[in-house]
Amino acid sequence: MIPIENYLVLSATLFSIGLMIVVIKRNAIAVLLGLELMLNAANINLVAFNLAHPERLDGQMFAVFVIIVAACEAAVGLAIILQAYRVFHTAAPDSISTLKES
Amino acid sequence: MSPDADIAYWIVAASMIVLLAPLASGILSALIPVRYSWLVSLTASFMLLVAVAGAVVLVSNAGLHDTRHFSTAWFTLGGNEIAAGILVDKYAAVMVLVVTIVSFLVHLYSAGYMAGDASIRRYFVMLGFFTFTMLGIVLSDNLLILFMCWELVGFSSYMLIGHWMELPEAAQASRKAYMVNRIGDLGFIAGLMIVYRNAGTFDISILASHSLQGWETTAALCFFLAIAAKSAQFPLLTWLPDAMAGPTPVSALIHAATMVAAGVFLLGRIHFLFPPDALQIVTAAGLLTALTGAGAALGHFDIKKILAYSTVSQLGLMVTALGAGAKDAAMLHLLTHAFFKAGLFLGAGAIIHTLHQSQVTTGETYDVQDIRNLGGLRKMMPVTFAVFLLCGASLSGIPMFSGFQSKEAILSHILSGQGTWGVIAAILFLLTAFLTIVYTFRLIWFVFIVEGGRQWTSIPEVPFVMRFPMIVLALASLWWIVSLNPFSFSGWFMNGSAAAFTTLVSVAVVIAALAVAFLLIHKKTEPTQVADILTSTFYLDNIFSTLVTRPVGQLSFLCVRIDRRYIDGFLHGVAYAQVTLAHVIGWIDKAIVDGIVNFVARLTSWLGAIVRTFQSGNIQMYIFWAGMGLLLLTLYIVT
Repeated sequence: MIPIENYLVLSATLFSIGLMIVVIKRNAIAVLLGLELMLNAANINLVAFNLAHPERLDGQMFAVFVIIVAACEAAVGLAIILQAYRVFHTAAPDSISTLKES
Repeated sequence: MSPDADIAYWIVAASMIVLLAPLASGILSALIPVRYSWLVSLTASFMLLVAVAGAVVLVSNAGLHDTRHFSTAWFTLGGNEIAAGILVDKYAAVMVLVVTIVSFLVHLYSAGYMAGDASIRRYFVMLGFFTFTMLGIVLSDNLLILFMCWELVGFSSYMLIGHWMELPEAAQASRKAYMVNRIGDLGFIAGLMIVYRNAGTFDISILASHSLQGWETTAALCFFLAIAAKSAQFPLLTWLPDAMAGPTPVSALIHAATMVAAGVFLLGRIHFLFPPDALQIVTAAGLLTALTGAGAALGHFDIKKILAYSTVSQLGLMVTALGAGAKDAAMLHLLTHAFFKAGLFLGAGAIIHTLHQSQVTTGETYDVQDIRNLGGLRKMMPVTFAVFLLCGASLSGIPMFSGFQSKEAILSHILSGQGTWGVIAAILFLLTAFLTIVYTFRLIWFVFIVEGGRQWTSIPEVPFVMRFPMIVLALASLWWIVSLNPFSFSGWFMNGSAAAFTTLVSVAVVIAALAVAFLLIHKKTEPTQVADILTSTFYLDNIFSTLVTRPVGQLSFLCVRIDRRYIDGFLHGVAYAQVTLAHVIGWIDKAIVDGIVNFVARLTSWLGAIVRTFQSGNIQMYIFWAGMGLLLLTLYIVT
């Protein structure tokens, strides 16, 4: 039986790597990838905690919901990136700064 | 209505017409547009004719024996009610008649004399106003209103003397007349204050029964100062000859009816205020004036100046008569003088007018007022000559003329006075009468008779509109204006008879003076060389400038210096101090008040700049900061 701490460490590591990718990457699609990584890190947590109560399937079910939401989010995100690329002719998030006043 | 109320009604109505017609004439003259300014002389003359008609109605209703007084409340000052009204007695009635008639004739004459003048409207406005103010003096029952009209007469004369204001001497003369009259007004105001303080009323008819409690002489002398200034009595007489700078019809009006007569009239009206010692001063001043004027008239060569000094001299005689208590005689002389002096002035105006016209055509430039340049005008201007002769004879006091009768009335009253004073006065009076004859015939000789002067080509007689007033005035200088008996002054105006001695003395003086004048003139037809003292009016102007003008000038220079150095210095110091203080306050304002505000503003903008750096518009940075925040929150919860 693998102790639960190892799952948590793996999950935290994956989350951190995902966050790093989101913050650092210069391509919006890579940022979307990082986002998926962070969601899956959360899924690992959900599944890992489900081990404590094997007779219930709450964690697994929640993970499935997260995967569905992630799929939707990826579809919407890719569509937004495509539109942004059309408007700004770039997919680099740091060069799209029209929210800034000047 | 009862007959008495009916008469009262007519008197008040006629007085209002007499007063308001000249005023309406003035206002109408101002309202008529410039394009129709020729119309002014018609309307003004017509309004004055209305005034004459009103005066006739007034006199025929008021009669010469009653004193009629109408007054109404004017305003209340504290507990004292000031009334306004009219007081018509024998003198006022006669004065109204004289003023309106002479003013009407002068208006008529001015229609010819001033024709073509650029500012004829202003001239007629002031002429009407002048007449109105003089009638106000005559009819007023109250010293306060009288004083107002008195001031307005001064103002109108100022405007009329300075009518040709582009001439420096006219402007100077009008200023001088006004200034001298101001000196008199000072006396008038002082007199008014004394009267009101002691009697509590300005009403002349009430005043007569009030005592001034020991102030009689002072009040009388104050009023006499005003009278002396207005009627050109010694020593305030020099303005009148200078006033000749005005148009000649104005001179006629000033000398005959409106201006200088006001002083004599006032002296007659408030004669009851004058105690005997004040009357002696009045007599002395009158005699001195009469002699000074006659002497100066003898020395001058300017036709209008001679007439002006003769007015001064005749006014002196009137004042002498009033000083001697001969009120009737003085007013009679005022009446006769008004007609013959107006006639003389209009005659002089006719000569000046005609010669100016002929100068324009011939291109000659000589002084038309200098009698040495004239001579032999008898044949060219027969009507003017006749008028001058008749009026001049009346001025000289030759029998059969009105001047003889009025002078005889004065003389008989002076001779009836007791003591050496009366004798001295009579001698000086006769001396003046003597000089009057000499200078009058000297004037007539130089202007009309002497031959060999300038050769006149063709001098036309003046137009009828100017001849008519002259003829009327000449006819009014004859004896019948006073009484049907040419040797008696007892007629419609006054009663009494002269002693045979008086008549003899007068006639003797006339004959002697005529003989002297004839001898003087006949011997040397050349202009007589006369002493400088006569032409300069006994150096009165020099005395004034030495005694008054120069010290006042020096005083004002001193005042100017004090003003510049100390008062201006103090003011400048205060101003500098204020400016310095203002600079200090300005610095505080800028550095401290504005400084605090600017500091807050800068601090805010600095803080804003720091906060702005977070809002870079870079989504990844936002996520980074959100992650950091989450981390901090986690740390806070865990620990």
